[in-house]
Amino acid sequence: MSAQLQENRDSVTLYGRRWSRENADLSRTFDILVVIIMFIAITAAFHLHFQLTVGDWDFWVDWKDRQYWVTATPILLIAFPAALQYVFWEKFRLPIAATVCMLGLTLGIWITRYSGFHTWSYFPFSMVWPATMIAGGLILDAVLLLTGSALITAIIGGMSFGLLFYPANWPLLAPFRLPMEAMNSLVSVGDYIGYAYTRTSTPEYLRFIERGTLRTFGGHSAVVSAFFSGFVCILVYLLWWYIGMAFARVATLPNRMKSFMGLHDRGAEGKDA
Amino acid sequence: MSLSRRSRSYLLGLFAILAMSEVPAHGERNQEPFLRMRTAHFYDVTWSTDKVKVNEDVVIEGKFRLFEDWPANLPEPDVAFLGNGTPGPVFVRTESWLNGRPAIQSVPLKIDRDYAFKTVLKGRIPGDHHVHPMVNVEGAGPLMGPGSWVQVAGRASDFELPLTTLDGTKIDNLETWGVSSVVGWHAVWIVIAILWLAWWTRRPLLIPRLVAIDEGREKLLISRSDLMAGAVLIVLTVSVVVIGFMWAENTFPRTIPLQGGRAVVKPLPRSQAPVDVVVERATYDVPGRSMQIRASVTNQGSRPIQFGEFATSGLRFVNRELPAAMATVAPNYPKELVPPAGLRLGDTTPLGPGETRSILFDMTDAAWETERLTSLLNDPDNRVGGLLFCFDDRGERIIANVSGPIVPIFKDLVAHQGMTH
Repeated sequence: MSAQLQENRDSVTLYGRRWSRENADLSRTFDILVVIIMFIAITAAFHLHFQLTVGDWDFWVDWKDRQYWVTATPILLIAFPAALQYVFWEKFRLPIAATVCMLGLTLGIWITRYSGFHTWSYFPFSMVWPATMIAGGLILDAVLLLTGSALITAIIGGMSFGLLFYPANWPLLAPFRLPMEAMNSLVSVGDYIGYAYTRTSTPEYLRFIERGTLRTFGGHSAVVSAFFSGFVCILVYLLWWYIGMAFARVATLPNRMKSFMGLHDRGAEGKDA
Repeated sequence: MSLSRRSRSYLLGLFAILAMSEVPAHGERNQEPFLRMRTAHFYDVTWSTDKVKVNEDVVIEGKFRLFEDWPANLPEPDVAFLGNGTPGPVFVRTESWLNGRPAIQSVPLKIDRDYAFKTVLKGRIPGDHHVHPMVNVEGAGPLMGPGSWVQVAGRASDFELPLTTLDGTKIDNLETWGVSSVVGWHAVWIVIAILWLAWWTRRPLLIPRLVAIDEGREKLLISRSDLMAGAVLIVLTVSVVVIGFMWAENTFPRTIPLQGGRAVVKPLPRSQAPVDVVVERATYDVPGRSMQIRASVTNQGSRPIQFGEFATSGLRFVNRELPAAMATVAPNYPKELVPPAGLRLGDTTPLGPGETRSILFDMTDAAWETERLTSLLNDPDNRVGGLLFCFDDRGERIIANVSGPIVPIFKDLVAHQGMTH
């Protein structure tokens, strides 16, 4: 074993402190229970956040455009990993928060796409496949591990988080951007899938997609969008790192109610003393 | 365990009720009456068949008019899309046309103009499905036409949607196109993520690490090999992204962005011999379920006309004494949308060219209730609207707009007041 973990028959040294074997085992059992509960909780919360914010851009193949999808998804996604990275890193020195978030999100998305979109609502997977976001999470964790700095993680990791999203998803998306002709019109395969499989109350015009506004950038909408997204990710990362810090604090208020009722507030007394 | 006789009777009764109950449609009756009476009026709607197998086509054709008395609280139809009201993708829409132009993109439409549509749907999910033509208008939502039941028979697993792209790629089935690639790349990233998590979770995680930080031994928590693993992870992640991107660029060299343009469709030409209808008074007899409209009608054409049909919200009150009007009702048109009493007139004499006459139109049927159009009386904008189909002596049809305020008549209240006074 490494210097981190040394053991003999009755005790074990964990990170420089001697633990009885029983306590070490109990601690490991606690790890397993908490990890399972935390993974489910993070999956549920992050998935809900994702559904409510990224929503249609990830639901449908004909919404995954070069402008809004590329810009909005990383910005909206980096919040949870940033907040949790504070807790995982500052309290446990574990550089895994972003990866846990993305893995949980991936699991949650596939469950809903299979059960809600495909089985329940009959949409084919070719229409409702989810994007992958794990690459960005891995980079965030690795940069935090190597630098140990929230600021540098925000700058390098946040920018990478925005920049990597589109190229990481291009192998998934490219087959749906092949050109085809439908009713004498040029459309992509993704457009046609969105047209063919009826979403009764989601007509074509509701798509929040690139409609020509970024053409002035030489047609490289995705590159411009990714850099802009990366820049905003830096700011959002820092904001949510501090929100994570605020939520990780245990705040208490003196119990005035007790004194109103003629009882002594021992906590307040202790503080005074 | 055995059920008592009474319990068995209850269960049998429950099953009987469930078996008899009509399969519900998808809520078109819940749309507010002002939406259904004064936005898009569909007419001449036909369904090519009411029974198809999986992979077979059903064609829905017809026309709609965007009503002259368009509700003031709705935006004008500057952006609209020809949709189809079905329970999700139980059919696949392979074609849709507006006045002969492709309707794959959204279009601006004009109020008080008519449009001919055609939609081709391919059976996909077996079952009995209620199929409506529909126009979506930005800000106004889906505006539904009449619905008809279409049965799809066969197995869903037999459905296929093949196509060939412009670069010659043959897609055997759009349902599964690209899915293996999606699953494969997700699997690659999931494996890398699990390996990264396993690297850290193989060691004691929470309490020992928390204690170590509290006691100032945090340097022991990150080893040199951990840092190496982090560096390898960055290189691996970037490499996989770059390799994946290059693979996609090489495999699919010709791609295009999503197409988000708007199309332009000209409306159908206006009728040359219009009929002008001015509503004098419209009433709805609540207990009698009877709509009566007294209107001053002017025939501005050169031939005498008769009144064949009043159509609103998919309901067709047809004058059964006028053969030209009855001939327009296709045999497979939904029976529940053609009330048996039809349109009755206070004066059946043909209206001569240039003549103006006050005529009473009577439409009485329980359909006003079953289609939930009487909730109009609860709307803040209490107006009735519909199309009046007139026929000249050669059988040529002229369509006129009818709209005006409507007054409810509560007969039970009148009778009650009469007794107390």
